[in-house]
Amino acid sequence: MRPMLKLDDLSATVGEEEEAKTILNGLSLDVPAGEVHAIMGPNGAGKSTLSYVLTGRDGYDVTDGTATLEGADILDMDPEERAAKGLFLSFQYPVEIPGVPVMTFVRTAMNAQRKLRGEEEISAPDFIKNSREVGKQLNLSTEMLKRPVNVGFSGGEKKRLEIFQMMMLEPRFAILDETDSGLDIDALRTVADGVNALRSPDRGMLVITHYQRLLDHIKPDKVHVLAKGKIIKTGGPELAHRLEAEGYDGVLGEAA
Amino acid sequence: MTLSIDALKTKFRNPGPVELELMARYAMLPESGQRERAFSAFAETGLPHRRMEAWKWTDFKAAISAVEAPASANHAPTLPSEQDAVIEFAGTQVSLPDALPKGIKLHSREDAQAFGNAEEVPLGAMTAALAGRVGGLDTLIIEVTEPTDAPVHIVTRSDRDETNFARVAVIVRPGASLDLIESHLGGAGFSSFLIEIGMQDAGHVRRTVLQRGNADEAQAVTAIVNLGDKSDYTQTALAFGAQVARLETRVKHQESGSHATLNGAYLCADGYHADFTSHVRHGAPSSGTRQITKGAVLDGGTGVFQGKFHVPRTVGQYTDADMQHQALLLEDGAVVFAKPELEIYADDVECAHGNTSGALDPNQLFYMRQRGIPEQQARALLTEAFVAEALEEASESVREALLEAARGFLVERV
Repeated sequence: MRPMLKLDDLSATVGEEEEAKTILNGLSLDVPAGEVHAIMGPNGAGKSTLSYVLTGRDGYDVTDGTATLEGADILDMDPEERAAKGLFLSFQYPVEIPGVPVMTFVRTAMNAQRKLRGEEEISAPDFIKNSREVGKQLNLSTEMLKRPVNVGFSGGEKKRLEIFQMMMLEPRFAILDETDSGLDIDALRTVADGVNALRSPDRGMLVITHYQRLLDHIKPDKVHVLAKGKIIKTGGPELAHRLEAEGYDGVLGEAA
Repeated sequence: MTLSIDALKTKFRNPGPVELELMARYAMLPESGQRERAFSAFAETGLPHRRMEAWKWTDFKAAISAVEAPASANHAPTLPSEQDAVIEFAGTQVSLPDALPKGIKLHSREDAQAFGNAEEVPLGAMTAALAGRVGGLDTLIIEVTEPTDAPVHIVTRSDRDETNFARVAVIVRPGASLDLIESHLGGAGFSSFLIEIGMQDAGHVRRTVLQRGNADEAQAVTAIVNLGDKSDYTQTALAFGAQVARLETRVKHQESGSHATLNGAYLCADGYHADFTSHVRHGAPSSGTRQITKGAVLDGGTGVFQGKFHVPRTVGQYTDADMQHQALLLEDGAVVFAKPELEIYADDVECAHGNTSGALDPNQLFYMRQRGIPEQQARALLTEAFVAEALEEASESVREALLEAARGFLVERV
């Protein structure tokens, strides 16, 4: 199996020096190409911190360990370099960008990534054609794609727009941070269809979620339980069902 | 009854070298009661300075130490004007268009014209007194007699002159409309442009202004606007500042049902200062004003917003007015001064104002960078989107050019 995302003994803190709080505490994880892994865990386990540390958000300090994407150390890269390397985060809380239409935003992002990789820009007709097709799959109308990013979008529309961006940018590795929250059943299916369409032998994914619900639609190869900043249990899809049935306390009590 | 230089000297409280030079220039102009009244009004204050309340953040007296040409020429392009009738003031020259759109007439007056609000606007008074003798005219009058589509474009741009003082009056006849474009590009050590716009019943004016001076120039653009019954005035200005630059607009709703939109954006780099000052008198019932001013300032730059809505007790009834000013401080060391004022005496009105300043949102920046947009590009894009709202009402013929000018600045400087 070709390695994709590899985390080794990763520790990270949030906050200023003296008040720094350890959130990730020796986390190791290996997601090979072609696989989809799920991370589940109780509130405060460090799930969102993991996604921010991996994508390079300010305010988090990696104190120990390594993180590589296809062999390249990503921890020293700027967020935009990590993106150009193929790392994508579907945000738990997508951010509104007033005044910047979706189409402008995605095209700017796509061309910026291509530039960083030394590739040619996408032509305007190709971009428009692609975006129409992808928008159609996700029930996002052309009119919506002309509106400013996430401004006036419902919770479900915002999540669909995250998946739209993912499908347009075709990342090597995608992290989906609680993409299921705020989605009704139909929207959940639409989003899952989009994600499943992107499954490929060349791509890895990490699905962060509270509930097993999403995992009925996006079947993970492995399920990890994150608690107190590290992976304390790993299993197959059945682990998600056990968590749903017994709760984190039941499963974690056994692991501890 | 001309004022002698000696009499003038006593009129100015403490004339500096620049005021003495302006006095000498005044003395060389033909005698005129109108000119004298304007110059006397200017002499009351002299060059405006920080000890005057309305000028406490924009000190022309301190900025202009001598009447001299700037060190370098200004190469900023005018707003696009290929199809337009262009009136250009350059130092001592004025060039007039060969042809004018139907419904527009130009008149030139060789004698000075009255300037009603002189005592309220010192630089307007100064310009009213000293503009002229350019091309043999003191005031250029644009008369608009019917609805017109083709823009009229006024350019003030000197080629390293000491001063460039120009004055234009616009008369909009009932039901007539004008698309007015202005490019004020400095090029003189001290430039001052005065425009008075009188709008009669149901007149429409859309005025779009670009101001861009050098960091060793002082620039004033003063507009006095009087609105007639159900007339509509829409102003959009983009200012990059100068050593000091002031865009001052005084609007009077004189008859009921008139509407004014006063939008503007300032973008100030290190060493540049841009001041948007406005005063709106809702002097007739059911008049409305909408004002959005946005600014983005870099380390060493200064932005000023002073806005005032005055709503008198009886005539101001049913006023509907909203004033918004929002500034982005893009770097440490950026300075923005803001003073929004509502002075309301009428009791059945809707008046609101909002005033904010802050930095770019780190959440937005991270979101954009996560998608692969480099930080600097993300900052420029966010800032452009921020100021663009204030430019939406610009004349269609130059809106894209205004955005392009803003974009060019942001990509290069932010």
